[in-house]
Amino acid sequence: MAKIKKKGTSGQAKNFITRTQAVRKLQISLPDFRRLCIFKGIFPREPRNKKKASKTSTPNTTFYYTKDIQYLLHEPLLNKFRDQKALAKKVARSLGRGEVGDAARLEKNNAPRLTLDHIIKERYPTFIDALRDLDDALSLLFLFATLPSTTHVPPKTISLCQRLCHEFQHYLIATNSLRKSFLSIKGIYYQATIQGQDIMWLVPYQFVQRVNGDVDYRIMATFVEFYTTLLGFVNFRLYSSIGLRYPPKFDTRSDENGAQLAAFTLEGRAVGNVPKAIEANNTKSNGPANKEVSKEVQDKVDKVIETAGLDQSEEKGAEPTEEPTDAIDRFEPAAPEADTLPQPDLSGSQAGELFAPFVFYVSREAPRGPLEFILRAFGCTRIGWDEVLGDGAFTHDETDSRITHQIVDRPALPESSLPAIPAAKQNGAPQKVRPGTRIPGRTYVQPQWVWDCVNEGKLLRPDLYAPGASLPPHLSPWVKPTKGAYDPRASLAEQEEEGEAEAAEEESDEEMEDNAGNKEKTDGNADEESDEEEDDESVDGGMDVAGTDDDDSESGEEDEEEEDEDFGGFDDEAASESEDEEETARTQHQKELEAEAAGLPFSSANGGADEKSKKKSSQAKKIASQKRKEEEELERQKMMMSRKKRKLLEKMQYSNKKQSDEAAKLRSKRRKIEKGSQK
Amino acid sequence: MDPSKASKKRKAVTRDIDEEAGVFSGDELNPGDLDGALSDNASESSADEEDSNSEIELVDDFSDEDDEEDELDSDEIPSDNGGLTKDSELNDVNQSDSRDMASDEEQLNYRVEKDANGNARYIYDEINPDDNSDLSEVDENANTIGNIPLSFYDQYPHIGYDINGKKIMRPARGEALDALLDSIEIPKGFTGLTDPSTGKPLELNNDELELLRKVQMNEIPDEGYNPYEPMVEWFTSKQEIMPLSAAPEPKRRFVPSKHEAKRVMKIVKAIREGRILPYKPPSEQDEVDEDVIKYDLWADEAERPDHPMHVPAPKLPPPGYEESYHPPPEYLPDNKERKAWEATDPEDREREYLPSDFGSLRKVPGYENFVKEKFERCLDLYLAPRVRRSKLNIDPESLLPKLPSPEELKPFPTVCATVFRGHKGRVRTLAVDPSGIWLATGGDDGTVRVWELLSGRQLWSVKLSDEDPVNVVRWRPGREAVILAAAAGDDVFLAVPPIVDPELETTSMEVLDAGWGYAASRPAPSATEANKKSTPQWLRPSAPLADSGVCIVIRLRYVAKSISWHRRGDYFVTVCPGSSTPASQAISIHTLSKHLTQFPFRRRLKGGGPPQTAHFHPSKPILFVANQRTIRAYDLSRQLLVRIVQPGARWISSFDIHPTSSTSSGGDNLIVGSYDRRLLWHDLELSQRPYKTLRYHRKAIRSVKFHPSGRYPLFADASDDGSLQIFHGSVTGDMLSNASIVPLKVLKGHKISGELGVLDVDWHPKEAWCVSAGADGTCRLWM
Repeated sequence: MAKIKKKGTSGQAKNFITRTQAVRKLQISLPDFRRLCIFKGIFPREPRNKKKASKTSTPNTTFYYTKDIQYLLHEPLLNKFRDQKALAKKVARSLGRGEVGDAARLEKNNAPRLTLDHIIKERYPTFIDALRDLDDALSLLFLFATLPSTTHVPPKTISLCQRLCHEFQHYLIATNSLRKSFLSIKGIYYQATIQGQDIMWLVPYQFVQRVNGDVDYRIMATFVEFYTTLLGFVNFRLYSSIGLRYPPKFDTRSDENGAQLAAFTLEGRAVGNVPKAIEANNTKSNGPANKEVSKEVQDKVDKVIETAGLDQSEEKGAEPTEEPTDAIDRFEPAAPEADTLPQPDLSGSQAGELFAPFVFYVSREAPRGPLEFILRAFGCTRIGWDEVLGDGAFTHDETDSRITHQIVDRPALPESSLPAIPAAKQNGAPQKVRPGTRIPGRTYVQPQWVWDCVNEGKLLRPDLYAPGASLPPHLSPWVKPTKGAYDPRASLAEQEEEGEAEAAEEESDEEMEDNAGNKEKTDGNADEESDEEEDDESVDGGMDVAGTDDDDSESGEEDEEEEDEDFGGFDDEAASESEDEEETARTQHQKELEAEAAGLPFSSANGGADEKSKKKSSQAKKIASQKRKEEEELERQKMMMSRKKRKLLEKMQYSNKKQSDEAAKLRSKRRKIEKGSQK
Repeated sequence: MDPSKASKKRKAVTRDIDEEAGVFSGDELNPGDLDGALSDNASESSADEEDSNSEIELVDDFSDEDDEEDELDSDEIPSDNGGLTKDSELNDVNQSDSRDMASDEEQLNYRVEKDANGNARYIYDEINPDDNSDLSEVDENANTIGNIPLSFYDQYPHIGYDINGKKIMRPARGEALDALLDSIEIPKGFTGLTDPSTGKPLELNNDELELLRKVQMNEIPDEGYNPYEPMVEWFTSKQEIMPLSAAPEPKRRFVPSKHEAKRVMKIVKAIREGRILPYKPPSEQDEVDEDVIKYDLWADEAERPDHPMHVPAPKLPPPGYEESYHPPPEYLPDNKERKAWEATDPEDREREYLPSDFGSLRKVPGYENFVKEKFERCLDLYLAPRVRRSKLNIDPESLLPKLPSPEELKPFPTVCATVFRGHKGRVRTLAVDPSGIWLATGGDDGTVRVWELLSGRQLWSVKLSDEDPVNVVRWRPGREAVILAAAAGDDVFLAVPPIVDPELETTSMEVLDAGWGYAASRPAPSATEANKKSTPQWLRPSAPLADSGVCIVIRLRYVAKSISWHRRGDYFVTVCPGSSTPASQAISIHTLSKHLTQFPFRRRLKGGGPPQTAHFHPSKPILFVANQRTIRAYDLSRQLLVRIVQPGARWISSFDIHPTSSTSSGGDNLIVGSYDRRLLWHDLELSQRPYKTLRYHRKAIRSVKFHPSGRYPLFADASDDGSLQIFHGSVTGDMLSNASIVPLKVLKGHKISGELGVLDVDWHPKEAWCVSAGADGTCRLWM
């Protein structure tokens, strides 16, 4: 007889370990375990069969992979944690004795320094791996760079995050590797492509973050600690890969003056009197392959330095204007029914040229930081802004004649509501321009223009984005049109299913007939309201007043309610609709006969409408029959499938249906809106 | 024997010889004593010297007794021998003592000297222990029992008597000898070792032995050493009052050192001048620098193979249109959606935000849940279990079987084109003639009618039987003659309907009549043969029948329900499924050219009741016969059972063979209809079991039929539920792909009468039309 196998000695029971067991095995506290897991990137697993993996009957257990935990046993950090614990005891003891100085000394001298270098190497054996995992790191660091300092978030961490983020942004500017950006309600999404890896991150708008009580900053701080180390290494590698010295020179004073990005000065690695030690170190670590690169880049950098002698604060990206002869041409389908073939996104050199020839001026009310970054990343080197926005501008003078584009984000206001020009100071200060006035010879655009241009990869018509104009919708560049999904770019007719429009029209026609009078009333209301709104705005003088919005929504609600009531009435009538139809057909026939008898051509508005409706209804019928036929066909096909496959098919059809329902909903909304706007 | 023990013993014996123990022990025993026979000199000697030293004598006696008792008690030496030896010792002592005493009396054998205190001290000469006694060696212990066997004394403790009449006790045996050996004194100082320096045996004297013993016993080997000597207080424990020295305390003890002050001042000066830093300045610079990375971590990067258990964290999905600060208006929620969103629990919301339109960038507020969302992402990263799930990303369309489009499948019958009315009662059977112009039907009213297929006009009708229904009509295949076979009652009729042009009619008649001559020339069957087989007769019909076109009647004597022609039209097979039919006559093959009927089967087919129907293979000389459950294929030329097909149906109603079977490389394909509502497709190459089982009918299937030409891969079945179903069943030439079957159409039109719907179905030979015979008395043409 075969040996009876003991339970719990192999397979899932052995492969997985609960969290309690893991903590006990490592002999550390739970918070330490948490930190260790965050640093080492160890995450719980879901055993294929929970019952087999757990020894208890408790259903909610967290399982870790046993090998992971075993691997943790040899972690050098574990000893550091133990040292920390010992130190904490010592400090607590001296504090208990009232020896504060002692405690401080202990804390200062004996605190074990955690180094995460080896962990980063371990978790990301190659640089590409690190780039792949940079999304979360960047999002969190950009958030921390904007956080206010508290007891949980020391200012040192914040400044470190800021420094790292700015360094990363500088790399993107230098290599023009930013690809897309998107203004969402959460913040600004950016996407860059570095060494073939798409990295997307989210930067919050510049507001003080609301901090909820249920956020544990210790966990976030642990992540930040790890991510700062990671981003530091990534930055070093990125900088050295394009032949720049890391860290870039950081001007504390200009930073204090709000220079942000401009507080950094990029330097070529071999420029000037680079310390020999670092140079040697770098070449050693980068290997011979990088040496050639650095030489190549070196020349470029030298050239750039010569050319851009006047612009000391910022060294331009290494791309001089070259004619991209080997670029892929854009193919646009000439006819609507043709297939569109996928084409690669724009390359770095193309991205570097988008805004290169322009001089931008950012108005006071526009967000300077993101605009500066995105403009620079897409080739613009000359950006000016108002003095209040901080240092580092190309010019603070709004009247500068070199400015070609001005980014304005204020409503068009009547002349009278504008404040008077402050007395212009003569002594060298940039001349104040009366807000709202336009200086001829430059294009005024709203900030969205920049983003839409970037996402489209070409310059768009600026008149659509003129100040005060209602902007075209801002669309996410990441949504790819898929079959069956709703695409707001395409026209409604293009994506409607066959007969959908007719069906909807029919419905809405009936609807309209029923509450035509009511509609008129509401339209009138709307007009009035819009007038009011305009008035409001003019009175407010450019300030946004929440009151108007509220009014708007309230009135909208009223309208809705009214409509709802009407709908109720219509529903009742729907039942008798078919009878009515017959009736009308009969009467019309009668009329026709009468007209014939009288020798008159039968033509009446009513008759024409009826004819139209008849045509429509016949069309609808046709569509319905076609649909039915399709369904029949599907049923027929299903009949031939095995039960298993049929279930699978139904499952898939469920999700597809969900999608298509959503799309249909959006289409119907749009139809309504379009109809409303036509009136 | 260790010395202490020996001394103890001696002490117990005598007190006075204590001091001379060493001497005494030296010659304690003489070899003569060992015998034991020598013993008992004690009494003798004591007797000798009774006078001389009575005191000692007494003591001696006492001690002797004592000793003996002791010895016995202790059981150490159980015999008298020990006592004897002791006695001898004592004797010696006594002798020497007595001699000493004697010599004392003769001459003073001591000197008187003065000791340190001036007292007299007697110093005795050393005793010369030489033994030169001249005592006769009379053997007083000799046994006096004479020359008798000693065995007489076996049960006694003694072995005889000595000369004095005393019992000679039995000498001790082993134990006593051991004791004796124990008592043997080893030469003094014997160690058993040899002195390596001298080569002589190493002998240790007493002092040395003592020393060894002390060392062994952890005692201090030095004789005179006292470990517990009284303490001598070198320094008194009592405090002295007066100081030893009266010198005053030196100044340097309480005046600060000038030298030290000088040195301190030197340091102070150095500190003041900044040459020495009093404490290490906090290394702020270092701390800042520590955060700055100074080396390339991935300088020597090496790709690591991905571990299957490593699951990278999934990236967050990119934002959609609805997340825009200024989305298209259709993405904005209306009031109802907004309310629904607000009503749901934050955890159940599909989206954590509500799309909203801010119009311009300056109006966009901060997103209040930003920190919380990032925190939740952090939690997800380290707390959420990660599982690889293979996402179902297939187009559902691809799962659907690749069916030919309905356009490709066309044509197939869809509508009822003609209704043939005329039969009274059910129409049991029908057949379309090979040219596709006429339709023959037979019904319960006993008539066979021929119709023009397209127009539905009745061309010819004959009443074959008054009471029996026409069970089956079948046209003879082939264009050269128009012959209709019909079975009604017990007879099979062969008719040439007078509907065709006379030329064709005559050729048809000729075909039928050719056999008459053969039958006539044939030798009449012998009586025995006739009895045994009772072969059916081919007869000329009665005159009215003959007038109407029936040419031949075959009297089968049993009700034939199935007729099937061979493709060349020379043979046809009839099956009489009635239960009363003898097994040997149920299936008969008729040869038209010879007017001959044969019964190929002698016995009933195994497994499944009487035979139901039979068909010839379209190309090979194979006959398929179906009984209720199985279909068997017989090779007629070799007269072998080729194959058994098991459709698994309970009662086969009909079957049909694919017309292209075995002509191309593909195998035989069969469709089988059964009364238990199944339609089964058999690919005989695959298995004897069905390839597909179709159950689309709610009632029994009466008839199945392939389209006879290879052009249209269609087949139809007729069911009691009043419907026909048309399928597409294409058989491909290659062996790799199986037949594809596509359901095409359900044709409804026949009314159900008496639980019966459609009874028979047949295809037009060239077009994709089919005709069906209904229980409602009509036939329908579907096209």
